[in-house]
Amino acid sequence: MNSYVLKRGLTYALLSFAAFLSVFPFFWMVVGATNKSTDVVTGKLSPGDNLITNFQNLASQVDLVRIFGNSFFIAIVSTVLTLIVSSLAGYGFEIFRSRVRERVFQLLLLFLSIPFAALMVPLFVLISRAQLNNTFAAVILPTIASIFIIFYFRQATKAFPHELRDAARVDGLKEWQIFLFVYLPTMRSTYAAATIIVFMGAWNNYLWPLIVLQTNENKTITLVISTLTAAYTPDYGVILLATVLATLPTLIIFFVLQRQFVAGMLGAVK
Amino acid sequence: MLRTSSRLSRSLALAFAGISLTSVSVAAGELTIWCWDPNFNIAAMADATARYTAANPDTTFAINNVTQDEINQKLQTQLLAGVSDGLPDIVLIQDDNIQRFLQSFPGAFVPLSDSIDMTKFADYKVAAATYEGKSYSLPFDSGVTGLFYRADYLEEAGYTPADVQDITWDRLIEIGKDVLDKTDKQLIGMDFNDDGQIIMMMQSTGSWYLTEGNEPNILDNPALRESLEVFQEMSQAGLLKPVSDWTSYTGSFTSGDVATVPQGVWITGTIKSMPDQAGQWRVAPLPKLNDVEGATHYSNNGGSSWYVLSSSQNQEEAIDFLKTVWAEDVDFYQGILVNQGAVGSLLAAREGDAYKASDDFFSGEPVWQNFSDWLSQVPAVDYGTFTPEARLAVRAQLPNIANGGNIDDALKAIDAQLRQQMQ
Amino acid sequence: MAQARLDRNEQINGWAFIMPAMVLLGIFMIYPILWSLWMSFQVGRGNAFSFGGLANIQRLANDALLLQALSNTIIFFIIQVPIMIVLALLFAVALNDATLRLRGIFRTLLFLPCVTSLIAYSSLFKSMFSNDGVINQALMGLHIIDAPIPWLTDPFWAKIVIISAITWRWTGYNMIFYLAALQNIDKSIYEAARIDGIPAWARFCKITVPMLKPVILFTTILSTIGTLQLFDEVNNITQGGPGNGTLTLSLYIYNLTFRMMPSFGYSALVSWVIVLIVAVLSVIQFFIARDRRRTT
Repeated sequence: MNSYVLKRGLTYALLSFAAFLSVFPFFWMVVGATNKSTDVVTGKLSPGDNLITNFQNLASQVDLVRIFGNSFFIAIVSTVLTLIVSSLAGYGFEIFRSRVRERVFQLLLLFLSIPFAALMVPLFVLISRAQLNNTFAAVILPTIASIFIIFYFRQATKAFPHELRDAARVDGLKEWQIFLFVYLPTMRSTYAAATIIVFMGAWNNYLWPLIVLQTNENKTITLVISTLTAAYTPDYGVILLATVLATLPTLIIFFVLQRQFVAGMLGAVK
Repeated sequence: MLRTSSRLSRSLALAFAGISLTSVSVAAGELTIWCWDPNFNIAAMADATARYTAANPDTTFAINNVTQDEINQKLQTQLLAGVSDGLPDIVLIQDDNIQRFLQSFPGAFVPLSDSIDMTKFADYKVAAATYEGKSYSLPFDSGVTGLFYRADYLEEAGYTPADVQDITWDRLIEIGKDVLDKTDKQLIGMDFNDDGQIIMMMQSTGSWYLTEGNEPNILDNPALRESLEVFQEMSQAGLLKPVSDWTSYTGSFTSGDVATVPQGVWITGTIKSMPDQAGQWRVAPLPKLNDVEGATHYSNNGGSSWYVLSSSQNQEEAIDFLKTVWAEDVDFYQGILVNQGAVGSLLAAREGDAYKASDDFFSGEPVWQNFSDWLSQVPAVDYGTFTPEARLAVRAQLPNIANGGNIDDALKAIDAQLRQQMQ
Repeated sequence: MAQARLDRNEQINGWAFIMPAMVLLGIFMIYPILWSLWMSFQVGRGNAFSFGGLANIQRLANDALLLQALSNTIIFFIIQVPIMIVLALLFAVALNDATLRLRGIFRTLLFLPCVTSLIAYSSLFKSMFSNDGVINQALMGLHIIDAPIPWLTDPFWAKIVIISAITWRWTGYNMIFYLAALQNIDKSIYEAARIDGIPAWARFCKITVPMLKPVILFTTILSTIGTLQLFDEVNNITQGGPGNGTLTLSLYIYNLTFRMMPSFGYSALVSWVIVLIVAVLSVIQFFIARDRRRTT
């Protein structure tokens, strides 16, 4: 029993230490959002009273509703479409194996490693020819079939019990019904993780939106933050406030969805 | 609450519309401008556009805040893809970065020397944007350098302002050692990833990393060699306070940790951002190199200029705007000097009242007059094609040199990396 | 006959499920890839390029900077990826324990680094690791070192800073995949093992790790590619310096593309070097896996 207490204590101590290291920069960011720029630079670590002023400065430079609206629209549409298209493909590659598709998959994994900078110019030509410049479609379309998420779903599907699928087949379910009514509910935690990851990626996407979104009204919050830092004497209080605001949506999504990591799929197996 | 959600749904509706629409076309007569600092060049440009619109109500402007990195990325991607849709009419580009655009994308920019008299501007600014006999820039802010220093620290170490007038770098090192002894303050904040310090010393002699634009000028460049030696000596004497980026660089002097700031005039605003240090700062001419032929007290670091893109639908208006305001309006230059601390490159601007005024922050020195006098004497250099490559090669050797490494070896390494990258 | 119909059914379904993704990838991936392959044989500046045959490959062979970027990247990869994977796995297992209190809070806190903005955390890292920053002050206060460590001005120590930064940022991210995957392990297996008196670490090695193998493989490949494309941290914290000590392949490609004289042909070719490395790594991994299969 003593060794149990010791081990527990050690686990808590280590987790608390790691949590402290993880939180500190975030804490600094939040505190900085309430301080004047000069205080941020000199490393003040206590909350200040400049939050309202920072917010007013930010709101006067940026149409926050519009910009956050753009970011939410792009991130939500991207997430939903990516999850649908990429989980279908990941499931398809794992469940229905064939030599040809296996080769296709290996090729995709190789494509995953191509740096985006190498593909950006031709992709831009493509988008311009389709007259999609400066539209959200230009941002969203190229990200929907994410090789990375396809790969993730394929790996996660390896844990999907075959018995479930066989049973469903015996019951006369069609393949799309099996995916929709058996696979999808079973893999809740996988979908939860993928939602967090895809949303975060879409929300923070920088280089590609920078190239295709051209007018100020269409910019995302990630692009706007970058322009805030460009000044010769940047206002760090305002920048940190903007980054805190930009962080919240992903954080909330994580906090809500992480409960799925507990629920699990055991009920479904038995 | 209701209002917020209705605004949200409206922006969502607009977003949907954005998908079906093709790119948004710009209203006729509206000039789009890209530049990057709301307190500096954006504000100055806003002032200029207001003046022009007052006289020409049909012309309106949209000024977009786009960072320097973003301008590089967007311009380059679009010019390479051959897509002009979404490019601005006028763009601000840093001087040492323009040649690679002019040379890689011939025809992408309008040669302004065809319609604007370039002799009105400081020579070295015009030279930076001249390619194949034509000048493409409307020169904007100058990076003319000076030695900003803390008169109070120097006084504590027994030096008067007269002791730092027109001195050499060697003399400054001696002073720096005394100051370090007596006040425990280091001389200069130095980012080892930035060669601005080297550039300032080198350009004051009229030489550059390259000659004739594309031949490496590293191994037999006495100015570069001595600049690196000065840098090494300062580092070995403990006079350099290492900083890791722009924020900690500005922090090094706003927090009073260093005694001097040798820098372009555009740093003035940052120095004056600490009102409680008023009266403690003064400005002297940049120290000069000892043994190098052509050594002067005048140099440059940074600075940028306006360019008109050939793809612009409103080219004539854009040129007329630059010509009437930026190339003629002396009064306008007084305004941006007072409000943004922007020292323009139009030589006639020096005759205005604002330039003659003294500044209480600098103990009543006529700093603007001084800077504009120095400005006209900055030696012109040809930045050439491969300046970014050269700068990266020099930066790679700075830590080594600071630690006392052999300068000959460093020069060889710089030369080798530069030649390798020049293809 | 019935078997044949079943097979054909499998084929049709197999293609049908992956079709939407394939169509999109075909449009947005294949054309850019072919273009970039074609570009990698072009020489010249900006728009004025021409077919250069093997000229770019020749340039590649003599590129000392590329070699440096490659070796930096490999050092980051070899040291950082294992540390991060192991840490992420340990955190995930600890946080999967149903009897642990405050699990949700701990999970969220450990996830925080990857949502903390790059701008905020990179400037904080720089100030913490500066010569007179808290890290040096703490180490000197504890008498571990006598003189400040030149974290950001020495190529060796700068690598350590970058490795700490990436580990800090991405451990919680990798943890998510493990947390999700741990749900797919049947708890009755653990029950049985516990009743059989198998100690905790053996349960971890013999049950958890094998069950998580597909996801561990996934995160390893992901981190490998992530490291090969490492850009954000080096661009924001060290800018590849000091003395090219933290220059990575991806930063080098970026510099070639956007900071130096634009020669897209060459930067496209360097991009393909990364693809080639991944291909080689996969082949090696394939052979290791095959040998193991043979022996078992």
